[in-house]
Amino acid sequence: MTKRDTYSEQELTAMVHRALSRRQFLGRTALAAGGLTLGSAFLNACQGKDAGQAAAAAKTVRISNWPLYIDQKTVADFEAATGITTVYTEDVNDNNEFFAKIDEPLKRGQSIDRDIIVLTDWMAGRLIKLGYTQPIPADKFPNKANLVDGLTNVGFDPGRLHSVPWMSGMAGIGYNPKVTGRELTSVADLFDPKFKGKITMLTEMRDTLGLVMMGEGKDPAACTVEDARLACAKIKQYRENGHIRGFTGNDYAEDLAAGNIAVAVAWSGDIQGLAADNPDLRWIAPTEGAMLYSDNMLIPKTSDRPELAAAFMDYCYTPAHSAQIIAAAPYLSPVKGTAEELAKIAPTLASSPLVNVPADVTARLKVFKWLDDAEDQEFNRLFQDAIGA
Amino acid sequence: MAGTAAGGNRRNPIAPYLLVAPGILWLIAFYVIPTLTLARTSVGPEGAAWYDGYQRAFTDYGVHLGRSFGYAFAATVVCVLLGYPLAYVIAFRSGRYKNFLLGLVILPFFTTFLVRTFAWKTILNDGGIVVQTLATLHLLPEEGRLLNTVWAVIGGLSYNFLPFTILPIYVSLEKIDRRLTEAANDLYCNAGQAFRKVVLPLSMPGVLAGSMLTFIPATGDFINAELLGSPNQKMLGSVIQGQFLQVRDYPLAAALSFVLMVIITIMVLAYARALGTEDLA
Repeated sequence: MTKRDTYSEQELTAMVHRALSRRQFLGRTALAAGGLTLGSAFLNACQGKDAGQAAAAAKTVRISNWPLYIDQKTVADFEAATGITTVYTEDVNDNNEFFAKIDEPLKRGQSIDRDIIVLTDWMAGRLIKLGYTQPIPADKFPNKANLVDGLTNVGFDPGRLHSVPWMSGMAGIGYNPKVTGRELTSVADLFDPKFKGKITMLTEMRDTLGLVMMGEGKDPAACTVEDARLACAKIKQYRENGHIRGFTGNDYAEDLAAGNIAVAVAWSGDIQGLAADNPDLRWIAPTEGAMLYSDNMLIPKTSDRPELAAAFMDYCYTPAHSAQIIAAAPYLSPVKGTAEELAKIAPTLASSPLVNVPADVTARLKVFKWLDDAEDQEFNRLFQDAIGA
Repeated sequence: MAGTAAGGNRRNPIAPYLLVAPGILWLIAFYVIPTLTLARTSVGPEGAAWYDGYQRAFTDYGVHLGRSFGYAFAATVVCVLLGYPLAYVIAFRSGRYKNFLLGLVILPFFTTFLVRTFAWKTILNDGGIVVQTLATLHLLPEEGRLLNTVWAVIGGLSYNFLPFTILPIYVSLEKIDRRLTEAANDLYCNAGQAFRKVVLPLSMPGVLAGSMLTFIPATGDFINAELLGSPNQKMLGSVIQGQFLQVRDYPLAAALSFVLMVIITIMVLAYARALGTEDLA
């Protein structure tokens, strides 16, 4: 890759955004990812056959992550720095769908051809509980010490032996002031009759349900099935009367920018990412609170190269490298010292409240309570019925 | 005919079986076995009532089932109404532009289904020119928009499946001997009568094939409802996809697939019988 020290990553991203529409941008990113994969395959081929091939395979780390969750340089930099060939695939679009793909092979102990997979807290917890993961080799991961204090110990993985966060994010309310005609502050704004047919919510149960529960004065960190039933009844009522237009993954972003919808239950990083094209779009943590989640790197139990996976994690846990990733995917870094590094390469972004979250917002962030299997099934049943799935 | 077949048999009686063997093996591997697996899944794990999935298919998802058939039927009607005149013009009136026009019918296939449906999202934007024009004419549905309404879903289905209606109708019209209409005219039929008594009946196999090629996939489609509809327009295809991938209730999803398959088969047989074209082949 060419050196482009003269531009900051933030400026580059803005340039790319200006030059391409979001869809093209997505397409090119996918192409770039495909190019990486091909490039690595080509490298493998070049390193000779027989024993050489086995050696090349042993030096290849395979990663599955969510789309638009990394910058264009980190993978190449990592390859150059460590000599480890990297196949980075953006094939995680939905926790449940990805689980449906890997469940059977992992149950049978077969390889899924991945050494790192990135899944949200509750799904990461499910995989760990099912025994589908293996411990991260601690000796190959000294930078784990950089993990921010709030995330070092989580209920689903005490001591973080099997998982480390790739990134954290907030689910709150995104809106287009041009369409709403006013600023929003509260979960109740989602149900304002003025926005009938102009509202979308996320299909990610914990984010949507958590937010609606907080609007009802319930705490998603300590909720009951009864709380879920009430919140789901409300969602169902507003879906059936046409107030809620749809339930989405990342795709609400385009509708929000196009003005088809006014308000969306939205992820902070998406709105920040769209800001280059649509400076008007806003994201807020409602006064009642917003949801905090992390997506976690895990090593599948069938991976035969955990030390390479740990090497990649270690690389990404250097503050400067994490800052480079955050500059392109503006979520919350779980790595200490990233803010200072980000200020050096992308000062504007570093001062954004969506990346450098103010204390009063942090105080309002909630993590959805850990659901046991029976609860999870009941919550899901209620929620799927509410969203008409 | 019988004589020729017998002659073939005398030469090598096994040859026909050998010729169909790859097709039969393919069908067994990729149709019969998956269908049996699906059937096994649909009756659920041992211990549970086997009909549970089937019961819920009607009690919980009867609405979606009705919707799927309703939307697919509406789209098929639209496709035949739009497709028949178009096929007629291409077959009878297009002269040297025939191949060019046929090329235009096939042109959309050069872009994927998904991208074309996404394009409709842009066209039907709330602030877009289509919605604004309709708003000026006071023709908008009660929701005050087109995107994420039943109209967008039926429109999307019709748009996506229209070529599948046009092509079979075109083929059946093309096959009609022109001298038959001339004969009808000689026998004092005017143009309308000649069409009604000669062209239309002879093109019915095409209409049947075209409407089935539209109706069957449209019933199971979920892309249009997912992208152009709201949750209140969800079709059975979306439910099956969601149950398989999100909720992971495999017995229910498999039962829903079977219910859809059986109902479609029954409807298709009834339709073919009603149109009297069992000898369609």
